[in-house]
Amino acid sequence: MFQNIASFTRRNLIPHVLRQILRKSVQGILMVLVVSAVTFALLSAAGGDAFSALRENPQVSEETIEELRRVYGLDRPIPIRFFNWLSAAATGDLGRSITFRVPVSGLIAGRFVNTFYLAAAAILFALFIAVFLSFLSVRIRSRAVQNGIDALVLVFVSVPRILLALLVLMLTALLAGTTARISAGSPQMFLLTAIALGLPLAGIFLGQFHEQLTGAMSEDFVQLARAKGLGEWTVIRRHASRAALVPLITLFGLSIGALLGGSVIVETILGWPGIGSLMVSAVRGRDVPLVMGIVLFSSLAVWLGNLVAEILQIANDRRLDASNNR
Amino acid sequence: MAGAAIVFLFLVVAVFANILAPYDYKLQSRNEPSSPRSSVRFVGSDGSLRLRPFIYAREISDPLRMTYREIEAQEFPLGLFVSGERSKLLSFFETDVHLFGVIDRSESAPRIRLLGTDALGRDIFSRLVKAIQFSLLVSPLGALLACLIGIFVGIVSGYASRSVDTLIMGVTDAMLSLPTLILILAARAAFPLELPPLSAGILMVSIFALAGWAEMARLTRGLVLSAKDREYVLAAKATGVSGPRILLRHILPNISRPLITQATLIVPAFLIAETALSFLGVGLQEPEPSLGNLLSAASELTLLRERPIELLSPAICIFLFVIGVRLLADGTKQGSVTKKTL
Repeated sequence: MFQNIASFTRRNLIPHVLRQILRKSVQGILMVLVVSAVTFALLSAAGGDAFSALRENPQVSEETIEELRRVYGLDRPIPIRFFNWLSAAATGDLGRSITFRVPVSGLIAGRFVNTFYLAAAAILFALFIAVFLSFLSVRIRSRAVQNGIDALVLVFVSVPRILLALLVLMLTALLAGTTARISAGSPQMFLLTAIALGLPLAGIFLGQFHEQLTGAMSEDFVQLARAKGLGEWTVIRRHASRAALVPLITLFGLSIGALLGGSVIVETILGWPGIGSLMVSAVRGRDVPLVMGIVLFSSLAVWLGNLVAEILQIANDRRLDASNNR
Repeated sequence: MAGAAIVFLFLVVAVFANILAPYDYKLQSRNEPSSPRSSVRFVGSDGSLRLRPFIYAREISDPLRMTYREIEAQEFPLGLFVSGERSKLLSFFETDVHLFGVIDRSESAPRIRLLGTDALGRDIFSRLVKAIQFSLLVSPLGALLACLIGIFVGIVSGYASRSVDTLIMGVTDAMLSLPTLILILAARAAFPLELPPLSAGILMVSIFALAGWAEMARLTRGLVLSAKDREYVLAAKATGVSGPRILLRHILPNISRPLITQATLIVPAFLIAETALSFLGVGLQEPEPSLGNLLSAASELTLLRERPIELLSPAICIFLFVIGVRLLADGTKQGSVTKKTL
C-alpha cells in the first residue's frame, strides 16, 4: 500500500498524506484524552467505589476501608488522581484490577487480541456478504434480486445481536449430544460467534455497497469501459467497484466502535474471552481501574481504525486519479 | 404502511398492558414452575367441535424434567374481556377487565399461559407485555432527551464561529465513532449496581441521552447551515425579524422532517441498549420485567432447547419493533434503510 502511495511523489502526495495523518493523530489524542477525563470524573464523582459495598460487611471496620482506599489512592482529589493515572498510563501502567488482582494492562492486552480476531473475522464476513451479493445483483440485474437484497438489508440491520447470539446458543444446544456437537473454543464456535457479531455490520455494508455499485454501473466511466469491449465482470471489478468502495471504507472506520460495543453482548452470551465480556465483569465489580483501561483501549482502537480508513481512502482515491491520467 | 402498523401495535400493547396481560406480572404460582405454553383447543376429547376455545388443567408428570400432562376430565372455556385482578391502567383508571382469560376464576381452575411460565411460575406473556411497556417508556424518553441535546448542540455549532464549529464537530465525530455500549456501561459503573425501578429508569434515560446526541447534532448542524442562506431566511432577516425568532419560526419548521426521521431511528438503538443493560443485570432488576432480564432465562441451555419460542419471544419482539421503526422511518423519508446505527 505504501509503495503505491510512494510512486506518486511527483504530485506532492507524501507531505499531503503525512499532514492528513498528523491532523488525524492530534484529533485522536485529543479524543482519547477527553474521553478518559470525562469517564474518570464520572466514575470518581458519582460516589461509591469498589469498596463501598464493604461497608455492609460488619467484619470490616471503617478504618480498614479507609486504609484500602488510601492504598489504591482513592482518597486524593479527582484532578490529581486523573493526572497520576494519566502519567502512569503514558508509561503503560494502568494500575491493578480490583476484581482480578492483576495489572490492568496485561489483562486487557490478552483480551484485546481475542476481540481483535473476532472483530477481524466479523468484518471479513460482512465484507464478503456485501461484495458477493452486490456483484451478484449487478451481474444478474433483475428486480427480484434487487428487492431480495433490500429485504436482506432490512433484516440484517434490524436483527439485534442479542437475538443472534442466543440463536447461536440454541444451535449449540440442539447439536449437543449429536456428532456435530459444537464445543466452546472450537473453530465452528469461533465462526458462529463472528457471524453473530458481523451480521448487522453485513447489513450496513451490503446496503451501502449495493446502492453505490448499482449507481456506478450507469455512470459514464463504466459505459466507456463497456464500450472499450471489456467483459462485464472486468467492468464491475476494476471500474465500478472502485468508485463504490469510497463510502465502504469510511464505514469500515466507523464500524470499529460498533463492533466493540456489539462484542459486549455477543462475547458474554457465547463465552468468548474478549474485551466485551471483560467490560461486563469490570462493571459488575465496579472495578474503576479496569473500566478506565478498557475505555482507554477502545478509544485508541477506534482512533486507529479511523486512521487506517483515512489511509485506505487516500490510497483508493489516488489510484483513481492515476488510472484516469494513464 | 406495514411499519406504521407494527409500531402502532407496539404502542397499543404498551398503553393497554394491564388489560392485555391476563395476570399480574409478579404473581407466582408454586405448582407450575417452568411450564410450557397452554394448548388452546377447539375440539373436545369426544371429538366434537366446541363453540368456545378451551384449555385443560395440567399437572407435573416428571418433576425432574419439568414436563406437564393435561387432565382431560374437565374443559375450562376461555372468554374475551373477563374479569380478573384489579389493576390501574396507566396508573389512573382502575379496572379488573382483561382482554382474555379463563372464565372460571376459582382456585382449582387452570390459568392460561400463552408463553408458559418462568422458573418461579410467573406468566411469561404477562411479563413480556409489561416489559414492552417499560421499554417503550424508557427508550423514547431517552431518545427525546438525546434529540433535544443534539438539536441544541447542532444549532450552536451551525451558528458559531468557524473555530468553535470545528471544535464542536470534532467532539461530535468522536462521539459517533466511539463504542456507545462501552461508554454506557462505563457510566453505569459509576452508580450502585442494584437500583430501584424508578432510579434505574431515570439513570438509563439520562445515560442514553448523554451518549446518543451526536448523530442528531451532526444532522441539525448540516441542515441549519444549508438553511441559513436560503431566500426565505434572508427575506425574514431583511424585514427585521430577530435572530431567535428566525430560528424558531422559519428555520426549525423547515428542517423538522429529517430531524423527526432521525429521532425515530434513535429509539431502536436505545431499546437495544436498554435490553443489553438489563440482560447484563445492571439495568432494570427483578422482579420488575424488562425485555433484557426476561432474556437472561434463555441462557439456560436445556430450557432453550425445549422452548425456544417462549424464551426468545422478547428478542423476537425487539426484532419486530426495530423492523417496524425502520420501515416507518423509510416511509417518511425516501432513503436507504442503512443509516448508521450502533
